[in-house]
Amino acid sequence: MSGGIFGVALRRIGVSLPLIFLVSVLVFVVLRLIPSDPIAMSVPPNATRDEIEALRKEMGLTLPIYEQFGIWFGKVISGEFGRSIAFAQPVARLIGQSLPATIELVLLAAIFATIIGLSGGLLMYRLSGGRGEAATDFASTLIMSIPEFLWAIFFILLFGVALNILPFTGRLDANITVDKITGFLLIDTLIQGRFGAFGNALAHMLLPAMALAFGTAPLLMRVLRSSLMEVGNEDYMTMARLRGFPERQILVRHAFKNAFLPTLNLMGVQFSFLFGGTLLVEVIYSYPGLGSLMVQAVANTDLPVIQGVSLVYAVAVLLINLGVDLVALILNPKLRIAK
Amino acid sequence: MTDLHDFSRRGFIGAAGAGLAATALPNLALAQAKDSLVMAWAVDPPTWDPIIRTNPGIQSIYKMVFDQPVTQSPDLKVIPAVVKAWKVSDDGKTVDLEFRDDVLWHDGKKMTAADFRYTYFERKEKGHKSDLASVFRNLTDVKVESDTKCTMILSQPMPTVIQWMAFLANFIVPKHYMEEVGPEKFAEKPIGTGPYKLISYERNSRIVLEAFDKYWGPKPTIKKITILIMKDPSARVAAIQSGQADWVPEVPIREVERLGKVAGLKAEILPITRVVLLQIRSDRAFADQNVRLAAHHAIDKVALSRALYGGKAVPLSVVATPGTPGFVEGFTFPYDPKKAQELLAKSGFSPEKPVQVGMASFNGVFPGDYDLARAIAQMWKRVGIEAKIEVIEQPKYFELNRGNQLPEATLYSWDNATGDPEMFAGYLLNPKLPFSAWKDPKVGDRIVKLFSVVNYEERIKGYKEANVFAAQEGAVMPLLQSVMTFVYKSGLKTVNYGNGWNLPQYWSWS
Repeated sequence: MSGGIFGVALRRIGVSLPLIFLVSVLVFVVLRLIPSDPIAMSVPPNATRDEIEALRKEMGLTLPIYEQFGIWFGKVISGEFGRSIAFAQPVARLIGQSLPATIELVLLAAIFATIIGLSGGLLMYRLSGGRGEAATDFASTLIMSIPEFLWAIFFILLFGVALNILPFTGRLDANITVDKITGFLLIDTLIQGRFGAFGNALAHMLLPAMALAFGTAPLLMRVLRSSLMEVGNEDYMTMARLRGFPERQILVRHAFKNAFLPTLNLMGVQFSFLFGGTLLVEVIYSYPGLGSLMVQAVANTDLPVIQGVSLVYAVAVLLINLGVDLVALILNPKLRIAK
Repeated sequence: MTDLHDFSRRGFIGAAGAGLAATALPNLALAQAKDSLVMAWAVDPPTWDPIIRTNPGIQSIYKMVFDQPVTQSPDLKVIPAVVKAWKVSDDGKTVDLEFRDDVLWHDGKKMTAADFRYTYFERKEKGHKSDLASVFRNLTDVKVESDTKCTMILSQPMPTVIQWMAFLANFIVPKHYMEEVGPEKFAEKPIGTGPYKLISYERNSRIVLEAFDKYWGPKPTIKKITILIMKDPSARVAAIQSGQADWVPEVPIREVERLGKVAGLKAEILPITRVVLLQIRSDRAFADQNVRLAAHHAIDKVALSRALYGGKAVPLSVVATPGTPGFVEGFTFPYDPKKAQELLAKSGFSPEKPVQVGMASFNGVFPGDYDLARAIAQMWKRVGIEAKIEVIEQPKYFELNRGNQLPEATLYSWDNATGDPEMFAGYLLNPKLPFSAWKDPKVGDRIVKLFSVVNYEERIKGYKEANVFAAQEGAVMPLLQSVMTFVYKSGLKTVNYGNGWNLPQYWSWS
């Protein structure tokens, strides 16, 4: 069996397709088994019971579950995600409006998590065995034990209210509007040469991105430190020390390169969790992304939107993991060789 | 194109690099111009087609952009809007309307009776699904006599036809524009005849409005409004404290008391036309009238108001709020735990041998909901009623009600901006409508009959009697008139509406 990068990518995609199908079946069935009535929530107060039943029939909610799934999935394959019950709009449009904001936020959070996680891991390794070890252990445990939505509220109180140095609602200040080109605000502002608006958008992303990053970084720190400690006693490390190289150079040029791979694999898993973490963080920061849309849809039992967004989440998780696997292949040639 | 206005200090620092230290400079809240306003709002409009959904939370926002045929004064009287006069026939089947001739759409075209016909009748005929079409299901035609006159033809009398025109989803939309672009494009870039034009909208984020200089009514003093959608109450509190918003609603009661003492802020707790009540089943443990009446007598509503609403929520004995037509002055269902125990004893129950009932409650849907449920359960326990509380979500409430599976009591909150008793007791106690948990015809039939009474005085008299009867039968347990809370900058002069409408077109900065 050959192991080229392209081959691996194809194999991963091949495995992903049935996984996506399975996820959509699971979400679809679970939603229909939950006792809730999405139609009654979306009709006027003087609607009669007969009208509500007629609407349920019209929307196909009285059909057997497998028939409903077949109709829905058939439309999904042709790019039709259905129509939101609560918003009376195509689901694809709602997702298209919200997704860029979440992708931007998750990317920034991933960058922060990477910076904090890797530098924190290196620092923890450098200080291990010394007096600083307890402090770094405590700090990483503290960050890890507080859930990201609580960090989100702490940051609002500290940076938004007490110090009043950072904004904490929406994507831009109230007095700034930006023409939408791609939906990615950082890109749109640069395309239009609106550098002030770019900075403003970045400022609005800082707190939610940091809250998300704090949920991910501590684990990266700990795994990297453990990996560094494992490779620290390898022969090539001893040789490098004997040859008189500075410890910092040994750490970065030799130890880190070899210790990074387990951390990279963990990053794939953790970054896919970042998408899920946006649900609460976006609501707290009034950030108009996929998380806010999903929370609103769940509150309204808006089945088409919940199904559509769940599918997007599943695809995002699989794509992130695929990307990380490919990066691992590029960095480690040994993984490309057939067994 | 570079906008020099964007080169604020904060923006430049943010652009200077990803380093956090570079952005850690004082974030000065922009000095609020006297002709603009930043509001926080807890609910996002589901759509900008205002006739699609009946959602009380966005009524005020729609009223900034669109006009209703008629409207309400702050004390809830129905008053003319774009319809300046109306006449309902004695049989209630025709409604003559006369419109103003100076109403313009935001694109400058004139609004006419044809737009009304299009909104209320033609869209329904074209198959455009909307809650408005469902409300006016008995409307068979709208005959347009001129640009300013038309007549609605109904297959059955609709006694609250005028009240409904000031209620949910009743907004006039432009025929010419909607036929040109279609309903979906209209919802993306809507136009109305209201005092503000929609400039930009980002779902779950913000709405920007600018005053319409050709508005037919009083021109707003506040020219620009930014509405920040903030669903989290703690974020709204933080926004008003940090100065990022000028006005925030639905703040937790404890926060209202605290923020009211902050210099530069004002806090209000306003009773509105929203009833908190226990919806009652007519069977199971509550089939016994003694048990029902005992449960009602055991509830100390004054104590509930004091404990959970700062004493501002008015105790109720009927399903109507003070000042509304269905309210019955002088009628009280008294708090009497001794009487409650006597009634229970007649049916063989006591604190030592309690009757078991179920109670459904939301948690976090309306202020103090779960705390109310627990407090009521404690009050019941003292007299001999053991309540098992089940927390449910709103979608589950509808599902349970539809399947007639709600427990004996369900704690619910009911909004009615019109104040009309049909929208209170009518919808809550009519067994033919989906919100009624009560199915017994003794009360239900009285309510159903009132849906056909066209004469206003007769109808109101009927509802007052029905309200008293329902309470005395134990068919419903009204608890409190709910409140709305606001915190805002003290320089802002607002106008309070008894139904909780917040209309900045009538506000100003002092």
